[in-house]
Amino acid sequence: MKDRMETIRSFSCLENFERGDINCTKLAILHLVMHMKIGLPKALLYYRYGVLWETFFHELGFDVEVSADTSKETLEIGTKTTLDENCLPLKIFMGHVKSLIGQCDRILVPRFSRTSKTEEYCVRFWGLPDVVQNTFPNAPIISYNLDIGLHRSEAAAFIKIGHTLGKSKSAAFQAYRAGCRAQQRLEQQNMRVQSTQLHKSDKKILIAAQPYLIHDAYVGGQLQKMIAQQGVTPVFSDRCNRRLCRALSKEISNDLYWSLNKEMIGAIELCKNQVDGIILLTAFPCGSDALVNELVLRRVQNVPIIQILMDEHTAPAGLETRIESFVDILAKRRPYA
Amino acid sequence: MASAYIWTQGDPIGAVKRLLNILRRQAPDAEIGSIGTTGSARKLIGAMLHADVVKNEITAHAVGTLSRHADVRTIIEIGGQDSKIILIEDGIVKDYAMNTLCAAGTGAFLSSQAKRLEIPIEAMGDMAMQSQSPAKIAARCTVFAESDMIHKAQAGYSKMDLVAGLCRAVAANYLNNVGKGKQIVSPIVFQGGVSKNKGVLAAFQEELGEKIHVDADSHLMGALGAAILSQKKTTHRKPFDFSMLQMEYVTRAHICSGCTNNCEIVQFYRGDTLLDSWGKRCEGSVG
Amino acid sequence: MLKIGYPHLGDYHIPIRRLLQDLFPTAEIVSPPPFTQKTVELGGRHSPDFVCAPFKYNMGNYIEMLEAGANVLLQTGLGCRYGYYGEVQEQILRDLGYDFTFLCFSREKAHPQKIYETCKKLNPNLTFSIFSRAVLQAITRIYFMDQLDYFLREQIGFAKNTNCFTKTKKLFLKELTAENSMFGLYRIFHKYRARYHAIETQMPQNPLRVGIVGELYTLMEPYSNHFLEKRLAEGGIVVSRKMSASFLLFGKRDRRSLHSSRGYLQYTVGANGIDSVVGSRQYAKDGYDGLIHMKSFGCTPELNAQPALDQISRDYDIPILHLSFDTQTGEVGLETRIEAFMDMIEMKRKQQHENYNQSRRGYRLHLHKRRVH
Repeated sequence: MKDRMETIRSFSCLENFERGDINCTKLAILHLVMHMKIGLPKALLYYRYGVLWETFFHELGFDVEVSADTSKETLEIGTKTTLDENCLPLKIFMGHVKSLIGQCDRILVPRFSRTSKTEEYCVRFWGLPDVVQNTFPNAPIISYNLDIGLHRSEAAAFIKIGHTLGKSKSAAFQAYRAGCRAQQRLEQQNMRVQSTQLHKSDKKILIAAQPYLIHDAYVGGQLQKMIAQQGVTPVFSDRCNRRLCRALSKEISNDLYWSLNKEMIGAIELCKNQVDGIILLTAFPCGSDALVNELVLRRVQNVPIIQILMDEHTAPAGLETRIESFVDILAKRRPYA
Repeated sequence: MASAYIWTQGDPIGAVKRLLNILRRQAPDAEIGSIGTTGSARKLIGAMLHADVVKNEITAHAVGTLSRHADVRTIIEIGGQDSKIILIEDGIVKDYAMNTLCAAGTGAFLSSQAKRLEIPIEAMGDMAMQSQSPAKIAARCTVFAESDMIHKAQAGYSKMDLVAGLCRAVAANYLNNVGKGKQIVSPIVFQGGVSKNKGVLAAFQEELGEKIHVDADSHLMGALGAAILSQKKTTHRKPFDFSMLQMEYVTRAHICSGCTNNCEIVQFYRGDTLLDSWGKRCEGSVG
Repeated sequence: MLKIGYPHLGDYHIPIRRLLQDLFPTAEIVSPPPFTQKTVELGGRHSPDFVCAPFKYNMGNYIEMLEAGANVLLQTGLGCRYGYYGEVQEQILRDLGYDFTFLCFSREKAHPQKIYETCKKLNPNLTFSIFSRAVLQAITRIYFMDQLDYFLREQIGFAKNTNCFTKTKKLFLKELTAENSMFGLYRIFHKYRARYHAIETQMPQNPLRVGIVGELYTLMEPYSNHFLEKRLAEGGIVVSRKMSASFLLFGKRDRRSLHSSRGYLQYTVGANGIDSVVGSRQYAKDGYDGLIHMKSFGCTPELNAQPALDQISRDYDIPILHLSFDTQTGEVGLETRIEAFMDMIEMKRKQQHENYNQSRRGYRLHLHKRRVH
């Protein structure tokens, strides 16, 4: 990073510019654009669109830096920069953004609102770019807006982002297509792995939660490890067929309009006969989960469910006790396993 | 000046009676010119003593501190039950925050931990200063800090290190909760009961990297502020009658059935005469 | 027989009751009992823990109405979590063992045609003309109420006789509910506007002014914000709040708001977050002395807006007090913070005034000009 800044400085030093040496300045800008480094905070929707984003920027010829796994420190930084009332995933996200400031030329903070006429993301995602920009006024943010309710498609959003980075429409579109393919490949592979796991006869627990909780190293990572230590296979609600899940979600809730929650409860409906138990993982104080999980707990019968609430104070010891006792309950239900 | 600092022990009326007796003994000839009350029970005590001024503790603390340190920019206040930060610019309050969620990092927390370690609370500061390697205690919440402390005690830390760790936990907790997002500019004044604890003071100085002033009367700044404010407001009042201390004061709560609002009304009596009541929400409500 | 119940929302229960009477003349309308501590406790006990406070308040109302014999419950639903309240509330109430019909006009179901069809099922005699007339009248009533309330909030702190405004308002609401024609509503509005203006007030030349922004339910239901507006008015402060039901019906223009937020927000942040930001900026520009931002605990749209609000507060040097209300908000801490806020803006005003006098002793005329609002 430092070296690059110096080269740029040597290219575009003021004297050159004053001499009217336009070429030098042009070269400098070109250099800057070519080797721009895009930062991706490894939080929230990275766990759903990460590969798409990485491939997209790679295809356009940018360097990509993904922030490190969530650690206790990330969370602490995030907690310091946001209000207490905010949800845990946001605090983690802010910690990641903070760690990328100064390391990258641009940081991707997308906005997600409506994904179809009747579906949308939690309003947390609607305000993400604004929250980041107002909290870190100097952060170099690039953002794209996914709002299909306004007759805009995902492709259009990516083309726009390419445009702001000085890339042509066709190049951006090609990169977007490549990104989609890569993302799809990964998802299909994940799904295949999961479906073979589901058909095995060992004990399985479905972790039903938002993808950014399940796969976060600090939140879901701990939980996955603990479950595996008990000799149980964890399966994940975000590694099921999404279209099927969305359709199945009607079985549990008719009015639900949050995409991520819809997929989550659809996965519960899909897997509930194939798993031994379900863990509803939620973070303090997640607004959509508070309502949806209440409904799930009231409407899904015949399978043991517990809700596990994570916040920045959750101690591993307490969590372990809860997982162990839950697994013990499952063992009593299925003595032959 | 006559002064005293005592705990309410859940009985503010009794505490005020005791307090007045102490003050009277300290200055038997003094005449009471005006009365100001502040703190969480300010209304109750204000009604009891017919106070000239009933002021919230934030303003009272700011006024009191400004009378001693005119150039103060940040006031850190940690009292028995709550803690606050007051930011001052050009002699007026610019911003403030209070702990609203829990009692972590207040005097109550320190005194309960002192009891657990079986040391007098007054000795905590000096003990903390002697520690070479303070224990790291989680600074989040009373419950966590407590379990963490037990754990550390069992791991073999000395009492001194534990106390020093507790003091640091209080300071860190304060800065993470109450002081979050606030720009702490020096000169800084630290006050409230906990400011008497040298260990906490040292921890604050270390965390902030600034010199922090602690006034000799740092625990009385709120009272001083209320006194100053009452002095400005005072009208000709009847001389204060100490015989009222012998009288019986009671509060009665009931639900008013006068209209459908069902206000919960607290009435405050001296003997049989009604002094004041609170909780009425009917007349003059807006919107 | 139909017994229709609906949750509380400030004074709007009066026009809503009238609307339901118009739509279902044969049914009995069960008004929710006024809020008490018991209502809130009931609601809190039967709600998920971190759901926003309006959900809990609604639950309290529903349970008390069901106990009072209601068998049809109404709910609406809009942005953010509010659109999903209905389904969860219905499930919780059914699990409690109540038997009732739940009418939820949320999101897509809030289309006038669909509402009409649902109402028609309950009352076969309903025609579209009756329906549209009743709705139009209800909206008119709400609009007139909000118009006068806006004036009332500004003035009530300075009335010579405090009860005067309240009494007039009671009469106004009574006449407004009884009136049957559109023209009559219009006449009543003008009559009472004149009466409000005639009430004697002692407003100083340049009073302290506070703008209130935030989440709509907390703003509109005084019980949920611990009668904050009343407290401010009692402290001799002009209280200004633009957000009300009629703002939601007529004034919400997200595109225009985004433009007028002047870069504090790039996108809408859900529900009324953008309106809080635009409102705050407007108050700051108009030279108000302070801002109060209210929301229920964990309200995401308002939390999204909060960094922008803090930025406004810094840029325009206007103090802002953020208040989060839950069903368990402590009265004492709240009171202290509000009182300290009032002291703070008063001291700030005094200081500004002194500085102004010192620096511009020769420009008295100018100062006078500034005072006129």
